[in-house]
Amino acid sequence: MMREKRRYILFEVISEVKVDKRRLQNAIWDSFYSLYGDTGASRSRLWLVCYDSGIGLLKCSHRMVEEVRAALACIHSINGMRVAIRVIRVSGTIRGALKGYSGVLPRNISR
Amino acid sequence: MPDFFLLTVHQDTEIPVDEMLRAAHRFGYKGIGICSEHAEPSHEPDIYRGVEIRTDSVSELRRKLRRYWSEVPLLVVRGGDEKLNMAAVKDYRVDVLTNPCGEDWRVELKPQMLEFAARNGIAIEFNLSGIIGSRRGERAHILRQMHESLKQMRRYGVMPLLATDVRSIYDLRAPREMIAIAALYGMEREEAIRALSEIPAGILTRRWKRGMEVERL
Repeated sequence: MMREKRRYILFEVISEVKVDKRRLQNAIWDSFYSLYGDTGASRSRLWLVCYDSGIGLLKCSHRMVEEVRAALACIHSINGMRVAIRVIRVSGTIRGALKGYSGVLPRNISR
Repeated sequence: MPDFFLLTVHQDTEIPVDEMLRAAHRFGYKGIGICSEHAEPSHEPDIYRGVEIRTDSVSELRRKLRRYWSEVPLLVVRGGDEKLNMAAVKDYRVDVLTNPCGEDWRVELKPQMLEFAARNGIAIEFNLSGIIGSRRGERAHILRQMHESLKQMRRYGVMPLLATDVRSIYDLRAPREMIAIAALYGMEREEAIRALSEIPAGILTRRWKRGMEVERL
């Protein structure tokens, strides 16, 4: 079986207060389910690789990048606090996605 | 990628306008259009000051259009009912019609109205905040209305404009994200790029008004 191509999406969370990883993960899944349902979510292979200090890295299927962008853009609040999510870069590798941001995220991810 | 513009940013922003411009630059926009109730001077090169006319009366609409047309590069009319929508699109001095379907998204765009909008070079705004801020049945209804409006606008050659209700930096969305949201109601990628770049740039330079007799006071 051929392995499906993946994309890594580096993003920034702009928020009124600090957002923790678990709440962010729930918000992303919630937004994606709301827009594309269970079948869309299963096809997306969406996974929050890491998140720290307002910068996060998502992994998804290369066919679903635009859908993930839309889902991220539709998040307007987390736990009652206003947020905006800005995609910084999309790349086929973790190294490419983290260019210039490797110091922000945990060492085991940035290697 | 072309230069992107975000028109119809509200005057009552929570942060100063120059900070809003910096945030918009960070999100990937070249310039922003700030809409207020009255004409105000602009001191920054990438900030375009416009007037948003909010009224229920057609005579007041005409009076304000006469007053502000020569003063600002951007004249926006907030629609909402069929009478006001029609009065706005019949006047070539209007640049953008916002909220044509009303607050509850129940007003349909009539063919005659779209013919006038196309003839007079008036763009109709798709406000994506409706999609961002709603869920379930409400969002489904908005998406259906936007899809129908888009189909009608394509048929009559009316220019679409993409925007969100920007009052703070949390309301900003990057152009690529706006394009992804617009795809939810069937807008093609090229169409969405044009609705964020060529169309707003043409509005600010009055490109769509060329050849029209302009009444200057």
